[in-house]
Amino acid sequence: MAKVEEFILKYIQKNYTVSEDTNVYTLNYIEQGYIDSLGLVKFIIELEDEFGFEFSDDELNSPSIKIVGELIKLVERKIA
Amino acid sequence: MRRLSDMFYESAANYPDKKAIWCDGKTNTYQELSELVSRYSNLLLHNGVQYRDHIGIPMTNSIKSVALIFAAANLGVALVPINPTLPVSAIKTAFKAGDVKHLIARKAFYEECEKSGGIDMDGICICLDDECPGTIPFSDIQKESVERPIIGRVTGDETLILTMTSGSTGLPKPIDLTQKNKYLRAMAHIRMYNITKDDSVLAATPLYHSLAERLVIMPLIIGGTSVLLPRFTPHIWLNCVKEQNVTFTIAVSSQLAQIVDLLSSPFVPEIDSLKCIVSSSALLEPYVRKELINKLHCNFHEMYGTSETSTVTDINFKEAINKQKSVGRCFPEVEIRILRDNGEIADTDEIGEIVCKSTLVCNGYYGLPDAFNNAMADGYFKTGDMGYLDEDGYLYFSGRKKELIITGGINVYPNDVEKCVLEIPEVSECAVFAYPDERLSEVVALAVEIKQGKTLRKRMVQVQCARNLADFQQPHKIFFVDKLPKNSMGKIMKTKLMEYVRLQCENA
Repeated sequence: MAKVEEFILKYIQKNYTVSEDTNVYTLNYIEQGYIDSLGLVKFIIELEDEFGFEFSDDELNSPSIKIVGELIKLVERKIA
Repeated sequence: MRRLSDMFYESAANYPDKKAIWCDGKTNTYQELSELVSRYSNLLLHNGVQYRDHIGIPMTNSIKSVALIFAAANLGVALVPINPTLPVSAIKTAFKAGDVKHLIARKAFYEECEKSGGIDMDGICICLDDECPGTIPFSDIQKESVERPIIGRVTGDETLILTMTSGSTGLPKPIDLTQKNKYLRAMAHIRMYNITKDDSVLAATPLYHSLAERLVIMPLIIGGTSVLLPRFTPHIWLNCVKEQNVTFTIAVSSQLAQIVDLLSSPFVPEIDSLKCIVSSSALLEPYVRKELINKLHCNFHEMYGTSETSTVTDINFKEAINKQKSVGRCFPEVEIRILRDNGEIADTDEIGEIVCKSTLVCNGYYGLPDAFNNAMADGYFKTGDMGYLDEDGYLYFSGRKKELIITGGINVYPNDVEKCVLEIPEVSECAVFAYPDERLSEVVALAVEIKQGKTLRKRMVQVQCARNLADFQQPHKIFFVDKLPKNSMGKIMKTKLMEYVRLQCENA
């Protein structure tokens, strides 16, 4: 399970390190521009590909998918 | 001409305590930034980087990246900045095309390279954010002197930036921009928009693009303040303009469309510092332009240009109320012509290819003199765009001759995406085309014809693209079609594709 967290945190911070005073788990990585709307498609597919699952349309449309901590929990639930 | 690094160091000597740059919550005075530039120059020199060497860098927006641009200018070396979201294989191809000898990157990039057999460099590798085997840590910069190393033979004719672009063949075409190009482009925009040392100039696009490079160079060579957005979202942009008292910026039109959406929200800060905004890359919807003028209370210009030519035309809407659909008149440095297919000059109001002669045109395509010669006609650069001139010399843009999609201000060459999708064994043929989008002007759309007797899921196409293409190249719309529309010669009619998928596909 730690692998999911590691993958997501690493991916989001590929280009910009989240500053130490930010709570990374409550971070909205889209609103804060760590992944932009052009990159979101690639991020979601790579995540699904890495852990062998697929998000449902409802999950993809839910605002919580953009929050790091919520996303980690969701992926962990899906592959459990 | 004057050397860029001399002009920057002059600003630093004149205004040592003034804010030179802000990025992501960090500020450097001119004194601090010039010391960083000197240390960076010394770090490169002492590790064997030589005059006219090429350094590759998956470039992010940061103060370090700006310091590197001036260090490179100071040493007479070239940078090959690249979009860090490109797949490693594409970055390796681009570095090869740009004769890259040294590499500067974040640890994540080196780790990514390791997974695909590593990356061979003849020169040094610097790791920007951590320790990484086989690389020099950027933190070694602290051991370097703050004295500026002077390389006497730097004239300004050296390549400073190789900007990678793609083309119909899918191979990278490195646009060669010398220090002189960068100097002339910066000065042309400083004059056109009356930028002074009192201005705070915002760069909100990626630094691996010519536009942001120009926007950071402009203030720093005249003692102004550079404000560099680390990442773009409309929220970050508005807060930054407010907090940093930005007075001037050039934005891509898709950013402005997103900013306008946010401006209608009641929680948006009042912006009163902006003197002028220039929109580039694609024509703005008239309502977006009107809203921006109303809500940001500043002058509003639109410009037209290409990576090879820099800005070609500009229009100030306050002064040209009857020319609302035009992209403006030529910069003083530029002459334009409209050519018919047979090479003759078109009449007034007649649509043809826009070609231009300008002192701001790049130095060529690095290593590809023939390709650049083919792009020239009688001393004029063929932009690949279509348009016409009216009787007052105003240019109107009417479409693209070349196959190109501009999504969020970034160029996508359909061929790059098509090549990747054709590698899927079940795909018989495919075509990539522009699909209109409110936020990004247009997005990448893909029409796929599957081989007879085979099946293919959309997801397989998405996985193939995610693995092999950059963020901005991902198809946002995927359509499966029975047959792609073709002309009598068997060529796919891309101009008909939009209409075709609308009729044939439910999700269009």
